[in-house]
Amino acid sequence: MAVASRAAPRGCNRASTTASINGVLRTLAPVLALLATMAAAADDGLSRVRASGIMRWGCDISGGAPFAFPDPSDPDRVIGFEVELAEELAHRLGVRAERFSADWLALIDALEADRCDLLINGFEVTADRARVVAFSSPYFRYAQQLVVRAEDRDRFTSLADLAGRPIAVLNGSASIESLRSAGVPPSLIVEYDDSLAPFTETVIGRVDACLQESFIARFFAGHDPRLAVVDATFDPGVYAVVVRRGDDALLAAVNAALADMRADGTLGRILQRWGLWSDAQRELGTDRGPIVATIPEAIGTPPEDGLPWSLVLWSLARAAAMTALLTIVSMPIATFVGLLLAIAILHGPKPLSRFCHGYVLLTRGTPLLVQIFLLYYSLPALGAWLGIPELLTWNKVVVGIVCLAANYAAYEAEIHRAALQAIPQSQWDAARALGFTRAQTLRFIIVPQSWRLSLPAIINDLNSLIKDSSLVSMIGVQELLAVALGIGKASFAVPSMLVAAAAFYLALSLLADWFGQSLERRARTVGALPEPIHR
Amino acid sequence: MTTPALEAQGISKRWPRTGAVLADCSLRVERRTVHALIGASGSGKSTLLRCLGLLEPPDAGSILVDGVLAVDQGFVAQDRSVRRSVGMVFQEPSLFAHLSALANVALAPHRVLGLDPDAARNRARSALDRVHALHLADRRPDELSGGERQRVAIARALVMEPTVLLCDEPTSALDPLLTREVMAVLRELALDAGTTMVVVTHDLDFVAAAADSVDFLHAGRIRMSGTADLLGTRGLDDELDRFLQRS
Repeated sequence: MAVASRAAPRGCNRASTTASINGVLRTLAPVLALLATMAAAADDGLSRVRASGIMRWGCDISGGAPFAFPDPSDPDRVIGFEVELAEELAHRLGVRAERFSADWLALIDALEADRCDLLINGFEVTADRARVVAFSSPYFRYAQQLVVRAEDRDRFTSLADLAGRPIAVLNGSASIESLRSAGVPPSLIVEYDDSLAPFTETVIGRVDACLQESFIARFFAGHDPRLAVVDATFDPGVYAVVVRRGDDALLAAVNAALADMRADGTLGRILQRWGLWSDAQRELGTDRGPIVATIPEAIGTPPEDGLPWSLVLWSLARAAAMTALLTIVSMPIATFVGLLLAIAILHGPKPLSRFCHGYVLLTRGTPLLVQIFLLYYSLPALGAWLGIPELLTWNKVVVGIVCLAANYAAYEAEIHRAALQAIPQSQWDAARALGFTRAQTLRFIIVPQSWRLSLPAIINDLNSLIKDSSLVSMIGVQELLAVALGIGKASFAVPSMLVAAAAFYLALSLLADWFGQSLERRARTVGALPEPIHR
Repeated sequence: MTTPALEAQGISKRWPRTGAVLADCSLRVERRTVHALIGASGSGKSTLLRCLGLLEPPDAGSILVDGVLAVDQGFVAQDRSVRRSVGMVFQEPSLFAHLSALANVALAPHRVLGLDPDAARNRARSALDRVHALHLADRRPDELSGGERQRVAIARALVMEPTVLLCDEPTSALDPLLTREVMAVLRELALDAGTTMVVVTHDLDFVAAAADSVDFLHAGRIRMSGTADLLGTRGLDDELDRFLQRS
């Protein structure tokens, strides 16, 4: 069995946008693990599942086919062999399956933070991982398989034939370990963040072959006339359901259900439907069951008549609405809190001023992504620790908004500070001589003027917030970029989906600029006293 | 003897870095009179005026406005009603840039005195009228000339009906024509309306025509005090002679 030492072996996952994030996550892992152990006081998973009637299973729907991915012909629906597996498993536990989505790299942290009960998402059984989580009995057997250009079909028939030639792999996958143990020097192992990239790079000729898990090789390359799948497979391994360590009752129940599903042919039928059946599966004790046809979604070719654009655009439009919601709610909060921070820094009592300045430095000095992760995965621990588990109920959109607002508040604070300081001292003197208090001076005289100065910079930040909001997809919020990538990977149309997403972003950005201009116009008009209000 | 509008005793002030600017300055401004502070640049007259205007806490000394202690041994009273009783016009008009001329004048009556907006605006209109600027009510500050701006600033101070109006070289930023326009307004306020004023100025014609009393500052001290006749004297004091000669 292949033992991968890296963090993220998995057939196909991740967008290239999340590439730089891996390092951050690895650095964070100990912190998150610590927070998770604080929360692990939670009672055992099985009774929670039974009591709530819901089995929350974690996966990354941007991982692509055939695991769990948006249906290309109806992007709102998530399909895949693991979706069917999870539903069958929940059914056998007598409960309903509820999908929890997050970035694949964050799933184990989500599990430990009790955001979900178990994970079903191509988790290979490795010794390293077994130290952190518990694995069920396996549900799938895979092996490594080479893919080469069609014209090289006879030239490269084994790893040995490729000696001295570059080979593409998915970043962090078990394929890397296979190549290393076969003696391939690191300089010839070319890692890509995108699941499709190793194939396209092979076609283009930047590399001479790519190594993938066998069914992925068949899924993506099997129907491409430009590519050939090398027959031999090697370094087999297995996938299993992941549960928290010590969650023995749930693990036993999952194992019992899986054993039934292997024996009665249910699992075999699901694998057949998704074109994943091979005789190697029998080694796990899986019965093939009655022979069923492979469903069209599992063929692994782009939809013949192209993407169902009206459905896809509708999905993108709703994802864009999520992006707009994140922005529209966070930015006013950030602007207002930023103003309060700036006022506190400039005019507050010294301890408050120092504290707020520290907040700005800390927030601007750490990645937004880290803040999102820490807040999302520490909330349950914090709730348990404080004795207010209601904190658990913060959903990911709320966490996302809070993080975006809190992060941008630090930037807006600096904009406000510069603008407040640009108002001449003589305005303060004039107000003081008229008998205004400091608070009144700020409210009626200084801030209305500094607001005009800060507005262009704030609108600029509004524009970048629209795009930064895509970071909250890491905790599973289905915003524009995440949805576009999910559909793109499932339908072999990543570039066109990215262009479509970019068009939506541009539209949102233009709207923001238009809004900003009208705000600036309003701010320029001369102020008059407010009309009489009830006093 | 009636209570003076403004009385200062022993005002001293030094800046931490540059040293003493005011040493033991005392003055007394009677009601309905105009008091002029003259002196060369750097003699401390603007700082003295800022102390009188309660914008700058003196290191020592006391200030009484209408008999009420506003500064006691260097500590400025926090009572806003005392502060309101001293109006101030600065070298730069420093109008509130985001408000119309009318709103500039009406803001303090509305927010500080608590008048309702209509009453505040009416009061602002009559204040603008007193400086012949009613026709400018709806203009923005950046649509006004320097002289117009300064007149609106005077109206903004007057609208609070201060016991005493302090003017800090109100025409130093203006050309001669605009200077005449603003000084005419001040003269009218002083002579016709009987407004109590302390004016820091280089405009000796104004002093001669409108000032009831004059203090000559030199090196942070009040060196000579007297009536406007002081301007006509020679030979009393070397520094005064030198100042008058240069002006």
